[in-house]
Amino acid sequence: MAEILALDDVQDATILIGKILRKKGHAVHTFTEEDDAVAHARKNHVDLAILDIKLKKMSGLEVLALLKELQPEMQALMLTGYPTIETAREAISLGANEYCVKPIDRDELEDKVEKILARAGRDEK
Amino acid sequence: MKERQYLQVYQKVTRLISMVLDHQQVMDVVVRELPELLDIDAATIRLLDGSTNNFVLGAAHGLSLEYLSRSMIDTEETMEMIRSGQPVARSGIGQGQELSERDLAAREGIRSVLTLPILFQDALIGILRLLTRSERVFSEEEVSFSMALAEQVGIAISNGRMFKDMESQVDFMREVQEISALVNSTLDLDLTLNSMVEKLPSCMGAKGCTIRLLKSQKNHLELVAAHGLSQGYLDRGRIEGEKNISRALRGEMVSVYDVAHDDRIDFGAEMAAEGICSLLSVPLKVGGEVIGVIRVLMDVHHSFTSTEIKFAETVAEIGGTAIQNARTYRKITLLFNQLEESERFVANILNCIRPQLLVVDRDMRLVLANHALLEAVGRSEAEVLGMNYHELWNHDDCQVDQCPVNRVLSDGEPSTYTHQIMKEDGVHWIERTASPMHDREGLVEYVIEIIRDVTAKRRFEEEQLERVKLQGVVELAGTVAHEINTPLFAALGTAQLLEDDIEGSDARNEVATIVRNLRTIGDLTAKMTRMTGFESRDYVGDTKIVDLK
Repeated sequence: MAEILALDDVQDATILIGKILRKKGHAVHTFTEEDDAVAHARKNHVDLAILDIKLKKMSGLEVLALLKELQPEMQALMLTGYPTIETAREAISLGANEYCVKPIDRDELEDKVEKILARAGRDEK
Repeated sequence: MKERQYLQVYQKVTRLISMVLDHQQVMDVVVRELPELLDIDAATIRLLDGSTNNFVLGAAHGLSLEYLSRSMIDTEETMEMIRSGQPVARSGIGQGQELSERDLAAREGIRSVLTLPILFQDALIGILRLLTRSERVFSEEEVSFSMALAEQVGIAISNGRMFKDMESQVDFMREVQEISALVNSTLDLDLTLNSMVEKLPSCMGAKGCTIRLLKSQKNHLELVAAHGLSQGYLDRGRIEGEKNISRALRGEMVSVYDVAHDDRIDFGAEMAAEGICSLLSVPLKVGGEVIGVIRVLMDVHHSFTSTEIKFAETVAEIGGTAIQNARTYRKITLLFNQLEESERFVANILNCIRPQLLVVDRDMRLVLANHALLEAVGRSEAEVLGMNYHELWNHDDCQVDQCPVNRVLSDGEPSTYTHQIMKEDGVHWIERTASPMHDREGLVEYVIEIIRDVTAKRRFEEEQLERVKLQGVVELAGTVAHEINTPLFAALGTAQLLEDDIEGSDARNEVATIVRNLRTIGDLTAKMTRMTGFESRDYVGDTKIVDLK
């Protein structure tokens, strides 16, 4: 079981991510506000952050940078409704493990999350 | 008896002097013959030099050169009497005279002198001196007779001078004519100046001649032509300080009889070494302004006559004209060269610019066409210049009613017209801009037309427009896709979760339909985010929709 943080400005999206991944046995903490998500990461361990690129006040990339400062070992999966080369390149450079384009299938989301966590587990060992 | 003798002498003298025309010969004959006729030992004639008011030796007989070269001719008292036209007879010379004169007279053995004024038309032109080496008292009759002889001598000298003057005038006229003809036939200033310095001495019987011109620096004279003089003499030094030069530069004619003993000359020794005895300095003028000095240099002592001075003055005037002509010619040549250079430069510019350029006059005749235009119409400059503007073009190239040149000629305002022409490689856009050139009255005198192929510009503008449109569509598609994708993700995921929970095949099929259609929307938004172009397609009526690429 992994500690997963999900941040999207659309609440339905965070609810959906929570439902899908909880079914897989993970603890999912969902946020629509950037500050709340960062505050959570300050106090709690996070294995994986699922971040939308477009947020309310900041971009997902800025939040990723902050979270990586707090928890450098944290894994990250970026989601976007409008993929561009620039955002993809920056996300990877900031330490994101995956860059996925919405709408992502449930199976695809589950699959990518498992792979990221498995890879992280191997790296830890 | 004595009167008869006098008559015989008078006749003889008259006959003698009437046989010669040259006044120098007259003087020589008189001084040679009079001693025998009048039973005296020596005779001299001195002529009045008007420029210095001194009497200069004209002829002498029976006297030594030393005596003749003395500075003082006679006592002041005697000279005063002579100047007032009175004869002076003196005997007992050497007693009571000034020491120098007494010594000279004593050495020469002179005892008595009869000094007579030589008059012509009541004006003093010289003196005749009759000298004896034995004591002699000239009687009243002898003095009267000698006065009559001196008068005859005066007439003869004046006639001789007049004859010489006339001869000289004819020669001078010829020379003036020749120099004038030369000045009129050439603009070569050096040739003219050299000709002047050659002709002046040969005509005036002078040794040489120089022409000096004022340089731009004030009071500096530059030697521009010389004849008959050695290089050593010409290089003797600056002569601007000489009085004769400064006076000539003030516009005065200066005649110097004896350069070796005249305070108006600084280089007397150098002149003597060169064999120069007398000179004439003539101002060289252009339009009343002195620009230089001509100097005529004689190798014998010479009193310049008014005819000679006038001749030199005339030649100086011609010289001034020649210099003025040459300067004007140089200026014109310079201006012409500058004009030609400017014209070449402008023509070069016009020929180097890519657009076609032409100029037409009010009658629509071509007066200028650049290379680009000649190349475009396939004609030479000689062919198109003077041609009617509309004959230059095919009717399709420029329709008369749209022609900007016509518009400029009718409205006087700049006009632009763009039209299409068909070429081998397709349609070309041509822009014709006509601008007026006004005359002093503000009327259109010429029209300048610039013709440019603006096809590339038009194509670029069209492409730019297309790019802007595409950019807008792409951005709009991206925004739409982005806004749809998140709710779509929520809807699709929720429907997929519902599939797990739902029971009954009908309901499952319906959820599967929802999932399938949401995926189709997902495919469309994915296509929208990746789009790089589109194609318009008719939809219903005037409405168009786009196919994404």
